[in-house]
Amino acid sequence: MKQFKFSTLFLLLVTAVSFVSCVQDDEYNAPNGDATELNIPTTDIVTIDALRSAWEQEVATNGNQTLTFGEEFAGKYLEGYVISSDETGNFFEEIILQDQPSNPTAGVKVLINVNPLFGRYDFGRRIYIELKGLSVGLDSGVLTLGYESGGSIEQISETKMDEIILRDATVAEIVPMPINISDFSDDKTNLFVRLTDVQFTRSQALGSDPLTYAAEASDEFDGERILESCSEANSTIFSTSTFADFKAQELATGRGTIDAILTYDFFGEYFIVTVNSLDDLQLDDANRCDPDTFSCDGPSGGGSVFWSQNFEQFNSIEQYVSAGWTNVNVNSGPTQWVIGNFNNNNYAQVSGFSSGENTIESWLVTPAINMDGTTMEELSFDLEVAFANGVGLSVLVSTDFTGDVTTATWSPLDVAIPNVPASGFGGFNTVDPINVSCVDGDMYVAFRYQGSDPNLTTRYHIDNIEVTGN
Amino acid sequence: MRQYMLTFLASVLGLFSMFSQEATIKGKVVDANSSEAIPRVEVHIVNSVFSTETNGEGIFSLSGSTVPEGEQILVLNKADYVVQRIPITIQKGQTNDLGQILLQLDLSAVETQIGVISLSDNELNEDEGTSYNISGLLQASNDTFLDAASFDFSATFFRPRGLDSENGKVLINGIEMNKQFNGRPQWANWGGLNDAQRNQDFSMGLKANDYTFGDLAGTTNIIMRASQYRKGGRVSYAMANRSYTGRVMGSYNSGLTQDGWAYSVLASRRFAEEGYQDGTLYDANSFFASVEKKMNDAHSLNFTAFYTPNRRGRSTAITQEVRDLKDIKYNPNWGYQDGEKRNSRERKIEEPVVMLNHFWNINEKTTLNTNIAYQFGSIGDSRLDNGGNRNPFGNYYQRLPSYFLRFPSPTAYDYQLAYEAEQEFINDGQINWNDIYLANLNAATGYSSYVLQEDRVEDTQLTLNSILSTALNDHVTLNGNINYRSLTSKNFATILDLLGGTAYEDFDRFYAGPTPSFAQSDVQNPNRIVQEGDTYKYNYELGATVLSGFAQAQFKYSAVDFYLGASASNTSYQRTGIYQNGYFAEGNRSLGDSEELTFTNFGAKGGFTYKVTGRHLIDFNAGYLTKAPTLRNSFANARQNNDVVDGLTEEKVQSVDLSYIYRSPIVKGRITGYYAGFQDATEIGFFFTQNAFGTEDNSAFVQEIVQGIEKRNMGVEVGIEAQVLPTFLLKGAASIGQNLYTNNPSIYLSGDDYDYDKEDGFVEGNDLAARGKRTVFLENYHVAGGPELAAQVGFEYRDPDFWWVGVTTNYFSNAYVDVSTLRRSEDFALDTDNQIFADYDEAVAKELLKQEQLPDYFLVNVVGGKSWKIKQYYVGFFATINNVLNQEYKTGGFEDSRRSNYQQQLEENSNTGGPLFGNRYFFGNGTTYYLNLYVRF
Repeated sequence: MKQFKFSTLFLLLVTAVSFVSCVQDDEYNAPNGDATELNIPTTDIVTIDALRSAWEQEVATNGNQTLTFGEEFAGKYLEGYVISSDETGNFFEEIILQDQPSNPTAGVKVLINVNPLFGRYDFGRRIYIELKGLSVGLDSGVLTLGYESGGSIEQISETKMDEIILRDATVAEIVPMPINISDFSDDKTNLFVRLTDVQFTRSQALGSDPLTYAAEASDEFDGERILESCSEANSTIFSTSTFADFKAQELATGRGTIDAILTYDFFGEYFIVTVNSLDDLQLDDANRCDPDTFSCDGPSGGGSVFWSQNFEQFNSIEQYVSAGWTNVNVNSGPTQWVIGNFNNNNYAQVSGFSSGENTIESWLVTPAINMDGTTMEELSFDLEVAFANGVGLSVLVSTDFTGDVTTATWSPLDVAIPNVPASGFGGFNTVDPINVSCVDGDMYVAFRYQGSDPNLTTRYHIDNIEVTGN
Repeated sequence: MRQYMLTFLASVLGLFSMFSQEATIKGKVVDANSSEAIPRVEVHIVNSVFSTETNGEGIFSLSGSTVPEGEQILVLNKADYVVQRIPITIQKGQTNDLGQILLQLDLSAVETQIGVISLSDNELNEDEGTSYNISGLLQASNDTFLDAASFDFSATFFRPRGLDSENGKVLINGIEMNKQFNGRPQWANWGGLNDAQRNQDFSMGLKANDYTFGDLAGTTNIIMRASQYRKGGRVSYAMANRSYTGRVMGSYNSGLTQDGWAYSVLASRRFAEEGYQDGTLYDANSFFASVEKKMNDAHSLNFTAFYTPNRRGRSTAITQEVRDLKDIKYNPNWGYQDGEKRNSRERKIEEPVVMLNHFWNINEKTTLNTNIAYQFGSIGDSRLDNGGNRNPFGNYYQRLPSYFLRFPSPTAYDYQLAYEAEQEFINDGQINWNDIYLANLNAATGYSSYVLQEDRVEDTQLTLNSILSTALNDHVTLNGNINYRSLTSKNFATILDLLGGTAYEDFDRFYAGPTPSFAQSDVQNPNRIVQEGDTYKYNYELGATVLSGFAQAQFKYSAVDFYLGASASNTSYQRTGIYQNGYFAEGNRSLGDSEELTFTNFGAKGGFTYKVTGRHLIDFNAGYLTKAPTLRNSFANARQNNDVVDGLTEEKVQSVDLSYIYRSPIVKGRITGYYAGFQDATEIGFFFTQNAFGTEDNSAFVQEIVQGIEKRNMGVEVGIEAQVLPTFLLKGAASIGQNLYTNNPSIYLSGDDYDYDKEDGFVEGNDLAARGKRTVFLENYHVAGGPELAAQVGFEYRDPDFWWVGVTTNYFSNAYVDVSTLRRSEDFALDTDNQIFADYDEAVAKELLKQEQLPDYFLVNVVGGKSWKIKQYYVGFFATINNVLNQEYKTGGFEDSRRSNYQQQLEENSNTGGPLFGNRYFFGNGTTYYLNLYVRF
């Protein structure tokens, strides 16, 4: 009898438990990440090209800086392929779209208040953005889509993103568009481009203390590094966010190809290129295209200035020439060095702008600087770059110069010449001291300007040339 | 001569006894159904001070020379049994042997009690910080106030005398179950075993207790011995809409068989797809078995084991802004995945306990109970690790309307964004698991940036103790125990789910500073890639050993009972780092053994019950004790290093209470005044703050160490009931108290962001050297912890036809939010340059720092039941409806320490859209029900 009761209880319990064990366990089917095919009719699609044209027309005809899409754009979608990725942190709360996976003609930046975005809008993903209510305009110099507020383009909110940005199933292979630095232009911004045969400039990438991408004390928000071309006399800025996970890595030292997004710097002043991740850099050719520069290995850093020139002595170049300077354009063109003045400060100045001169080669050479009485000598000077559209300055030394620059033996010095700013003046910066401790006898320092109007007309100001030694 | 002397003595003694004219009443109390003896039945003569209890054989004997003569009423009272009143005639010099007295089981009382246990159990698993003290309240006691507290006040955070559960002791078979880590009992470890937990001894406050010295909030000993369960079985099914929606339970007890064996088994399951709060799943199974062998009259050996694996989806406190946009059931912790609500914050507890108990009746007067218990298993808390991504919770402050209106004079676009955020939050507001998977699936590296992390604690604890009880004579009983407890607690994080990715990088890939080791969670294994199930982030062990003992003497006389007790203990703690944390890589700062902490503590207590008459009693208790800090409050940043809290001291506690108890056949009542004082308490909190001086941007995740806290709990509690009719009981209860901080303690912060010289590779890890300890102006703030005023009126009707119903109305007020200590520190007034704010206005500051008092509210509860006897089965139900009027109420809340300086608080209070980091509240349930159907046999 007792046995019976107990088994009844047990049976009851088992039945009951099996009835009620229905709580969700902690095994879930994971989403596979697939999106569905959208099939939006072409009549409802607005191309990025059309978007750009519409904006340009608005600017031209109405003088507005932004164009807002009204109710009639309900059900009208901008089509684009994602070419940016915020996975490494180099992009933040924005995606960049271009119109075609290959041979793109137009691109646009889309501001979205969401982080991260690469999960939904992965590289190559085709997406559609319903235009109603959105505005297009410039943000940091490039075409940008978002909501207009107070005359600027603001972010699309997370809520709106869900509502208006549609992901298509298509993930295209993005073919980078080959481009030369000299071909950078506004209409090529927001495109995924390929720069071939480039390298980071030697003064930043090489040496005992090479720079990181964006983890130097002086890097605020972005680290900007000089990327120079081996095939054209040109360089550009490679920009990295200080929030990128690769910011602390040292610059690649080799030469090769970079796939990047062409855009403007934060202030919209000059072109930069920026990458989704370091995987987009193939700088593995160790055979760099650095010029054979003159360098001394011995100790340097001698303390006292024994030769200097701040150009305050005279106000015209001719007076300096009389005092032993050489100023010559070997192609006999009009572009020569002059003495400029700003804020009661004199400096040597050169620019090929509006010279009409196709090939400029203009030299400014110091008088002889005697190096026999000193040791551990260093050369330094202040340099200001303005309206940069290429690197046209080099600094050279000679000990056998006798008055004719073409017959003397010149050795180029290792001086990094920035290629910014594209407009306006960059301000004077002192170049890193150059070790000239192994030069003996009379040293001549030459500033050679090689330009071409209108392609390379960067303006340079030189001041406070100093040679120190013990 | 010698013979004479003896004769003389004998005649004197004889004479003496003749003069004293003692009367004796004795008898044996047995269960009416099983005929088994019932121990510990309270026996007393109405309107007299004479009372006693039955012994283990159910026998009692009352005698004395002042026993009232003539027609008297003897009352026999035992929980779960119908009270017996026996008219007797007492005559001096005579022995009145009443023979066998039958006590009838009061099934409704039994069921009520199981119900109370179930209900309390339902609330007990709440998250840390919301847990409140119901220790001792699991038992429907004979005390009107405690009944109210356990039954009706437990729906809110009400804490009797303002005491936290860490101030009470819970024992099972004489073995302390409070966790060494935080001093609190882990109720889930014996949850769902309600049928097996009906035998409980509770002693209020520091009153004399046979097992242990105890603590301020009382001591509960749950007796889970096979031989102590009444023979029979019980099957029940409960339905509710609280933490679980269903519970099925079956138990069977053999009772003590002829050959001296007894066994008891129980299995139960509690479950819910979601409880009252959204997305709070509940999945708990409970198993219990006990076998006891009574070897002979002297020796019994008992084995008890229980295993109660349970898994719960957690919810959290929410701001008023969130509540207004959603409702009180809103829980941000979950999101839909695969069509199901997936909760990112689950707590899994699996800590089986096995114990062996030896009971030795050394002689008639002395018993020795020796126990050994072993506990092992794990507690795991899951949460989303967001990597560097934005917090995916729907109520993240950047997703709420207030965020978009945070600047003065918001633009039209700001309002549009706020509106969009509001609509999004109203319509969704949950985690988007799909996006999380997409981010991991589409990661070029394959490494997850989001993972589901579990913080795991694996404790193994061995407890040995012996409890001695010896009756020196009829009046004096001595109790004593000696305990040894050894705990090894492994603490680490592990990956539960990579959420679509292939691995996780257990280092800071964004780190770019001068000390590369800072990027490493374990310098011994740099740049580690981890998989599901791997340990990561932090890994350390805590060891604790406690040796303690207590001694107590209880004196019982006709007019007064009193006791004295003392305790002593030695506690030692040590942390052992298994990971060498990159920030604290030097020496044994993080790896290996910490300094060993040792605390020696004492306690003393005493009290008396003075029986003015049988109707009027005065009860007084007082105690002083020192307590070792808990493990939790001993290490300043245990996840990362071996740092000990600077100047760590033990806590001192004093307690006094004085009661007046009135008992008449119709009315019984108690009024108690109490005082509890605490000094030198240490508390550690964890949070992110934008007011951490000395860290980059003054923003850091910190441990806040508050020391030297003094608190005072004072108040009065009253319980009174009147048996107006035999079937109708009126009752009232109230507690009015004030729990205050009474001094200005000190504060300092710790965390890996405290690194003053970025170049020297040494991380201070706290702000002591740079800023020293600061004062926190806490004096006269209320210690949060439920309403300080709780009151009840109600009635019960018990129909002779085995049904009953009770209704209570409960009023609660004077509850306060938990104040942010950092906000009350000196740092509050300081600008980032360490100077006082230029616009600092003390009057404004005072207003900003005012402690919020929560609104008061009424809760109406109904309870009832009915039982039938069908052949040998008892069938019945027990049901309650709580908060019948669906009153919305806040049970508690706390301030946020994120923006905790004057300027930030000014901004918070002037935002167009309300504060971004407003107070967060716990909301009580709306109307809920609980229905339990049962069959006994």
